[in-house]
Amino acid sequence: MTALIASSSVLTCLGSGKRTFQAVLDGRCGAGPLRHARAGALNVTAGYHIGKDDPERLFRARTWLVRCVAAALRQAWIDPRRQRVAAVVGTGLRELASVEAWALDPGAGRQPFPVDRLDFGAAVPGVADVVTLSNACSAGGHALAVAQDLIELDVADAVVAAGVDAMSRSMLAMIGRVAPAPTEQVRPFDADRTGVLLGEGAAAAVVVPEDSTQAARPTLGRLLATGLSCDAQHQTAPDVDGIRRAMSDAFSRVGRAPGEVGAVVAHGTGTALNDPAECAALKAEVLAAGADPLITGVKGAVGHTSGAAALVNLDIALRILSTGRVPPVVGLRRPLPEGEGMRFVVGEQARFEPRRRIVQTNAFGFGGVNAVTLVEAA
Amino acid sequence: MPSSAAMDAGALPGRPAGEPAVLAITGCSVHLPGADLPGALDRVLPAPTSGPGSRSWAVRASAASCPPEQAATLLGRKGLLAKEPATRLALCAVHRALGLAAGQRARDPLRPDTAVVACSNLGNVGTVVDIVRTVAAEGGRAVSVLAAPSASSNIVASTVALWFGFAGPNLMVCSGRAAGGDGLHLAGLLVRAGRARRVVLVAAEPDDPVASALYGGPLRAGSGCVVLEPAGATATLATVAPAADGVVAPSAAALGLWGDCYGALGVVDLAVAAHLVAEEGQPQVKVSFDGAPPGRRAVLVRAEA
Repeated sequence: MTALIASSSVLTCLGSGKRTFQAVLDGRCGAGPLRHARAGALNVTAGYHIGKDDPERLFRARTWLVRCVAAALRQAWIDPRRQRVAAVVGTGLRELASVEAWALDPGAGRQPFPVDRLDFGAAVPGVADVVTLSNACSAGGHALAVAQDLIELDVADAVVAAGVDAMSRSMLAMIGRVAPAPTEQVRPFDADRTGVLLGEGAAAAVVVPEDSTQAARPTLGRLLATGLSCDAQHQTAPDVDGIRRAMSDAFSRVGRAPGEVGAVVAHGTGTALNDPAECAALKAEVLAAGADPLITGVKGAVGHTSGAAALVNLDIALRILSTGRVPPVVGLRRPLPEGEGMRFVVGEQARFEPRRRIVQTNAFGFGGVNAVTLVEAA
Repeated sequence: MPSSAAMDAGALPGRPAGEPAVLAITGCSVHLPGADLPGALDRVLPAPTSGPGSRSWAVRASAASCPPEQAATLLGRKGLLAKEPATRLALCAVHRALGLAAGQRARDPLRPDTAVVACSNLGNVGTVVDIVRTVAAEGGRAVSVLAAPSASSNIVASTVALWFGFAGPNLMVCSGRAAGGDGLHLAGLLVRAGRARRVVLVAAEPDDPVASALYGGPLRAGSGCVVLEPAGATATLATVAPAADGVVAPSAAALGLWGDCYGALGVVDLAVAAHLVAEEGQPQVKVSFDGAPPGRRAVLVRAEA
């Protein structure tokens, strides 16, 4: 048994999944001024915000998550009252932004905090079995891996793999703390990249079994596998060997060859360390196997959506499969030297041909947690 | 669909598809600084039979449960700088569940076959709040870069992996009170899906002022760990499987005697149950997971058949 993606719903600074994909195809960037109060103290001046509301309004992540999950369930024709439905929510920062607002309030300690809203256990209407995985910037990829396991082991009839993150002041502060100068825009794989910026985002995909009843139901693509690994090498710096293990795990789980990869939606954070490490791992695992994939990434357009990032990448991958169009890496002008010989999509969109090939998506997180997902047309 | 020896070994013959499999517990520890484990057990279990071993694990566990600020006595000094109490407590629990001696470091080659599933909700809230208060009072330059990893909520899981060299899948479960039950559920999936041959399930919560204020009540700082492998593993201490209705001996509720460990409670109870079966002669102990969804609210820990 393999698994299918029945639906996918996304919300980024550029809007819905459809709008986001079109904007990225057009080369648009969703960055704007960071709207947090007293942002100057953070040494971060830009960000990728959803909507126009106050970024420090309480429990914003939950509202985006609920919206995406409801849309995904509806599009997949799933009724949690009639089927065994579980949900796995990946998040890097949970609702820590609300904890911070609570703590900075002069009345903190006098007002109780609803601790059960720190996670997203109650945020999926109609679904009792909800697990919150806080797996940093690859949380959504880990949620997708668990979702596929639940389907393949027949524990559930449908699983919502979701991801969500708002920006926390503490994470902004750490980004500002290590940046020599504030970054204006994420520029993945660019020789002159200046670092990462956070993007607000949510995404949900419904994973279902591939079986005989599926023919008449919505299908966006086949979920081949998600490979997982932990570097176990460094608290924050990526490790090429650890990333390679996640890639090889994905291919070996499904018994497919890296040479079949036609496009990669890369992690591409625009940091000094990530992009060369990701290039080295792709060269060693995918290019060395004979593939010459088109390489794109969306963080220049939508920022680093952290817990949602892997599932935003998945949505892009599914749209590459359905449209045959690969968007350019927004923010990339001159590829980094470590990417020499790799086919980055620069400036204009590219054709994804032949359409039967695999699209690979990458997500790596703090603590060396890696998730690599493979999809193909169903 | 991937298949593996691990998955096959973990499934019982004749089980209908979808039913969770039996796992072996091959290591366990309870790390509750300041808790009187033997006294708590005396309140719910018959008096121990005389002779060596009787409740001695609880005496040893109480004595070995160093507070987080003294974690170096167990873990060794190197690497503990800027580690939060919950992370230290988790490291202590894993160290003891692996049976390592005080000060012994087990980080030889990486172990890609070993996964980590860590459970904690409040482990990094103290650091997160400290960062934003420092920025508000003194500006961003005043924040220590050593705090950076703790701005991410997976700090407990990733630190356990880094410390012990566990390079398999690494999951951080932050699902409130249900975290322990969810963690066991995920550990079983990792084994059955062939993603890991061994899963280190660890849970820890702190009791710092921010955590307690957020929680809105007193917390018991502590941690627990169980090491899980496919059924039939050598050195099996006990097995764990979904509970059948009506089997309770002793009552699961009685195991919450050491205070409220919030997201760590489920794994602490599981580890206590494993000790009771392996070292107190209890044939079986039911563990309930408060807050868990229907279908996985309880498990039965029992002696290996």
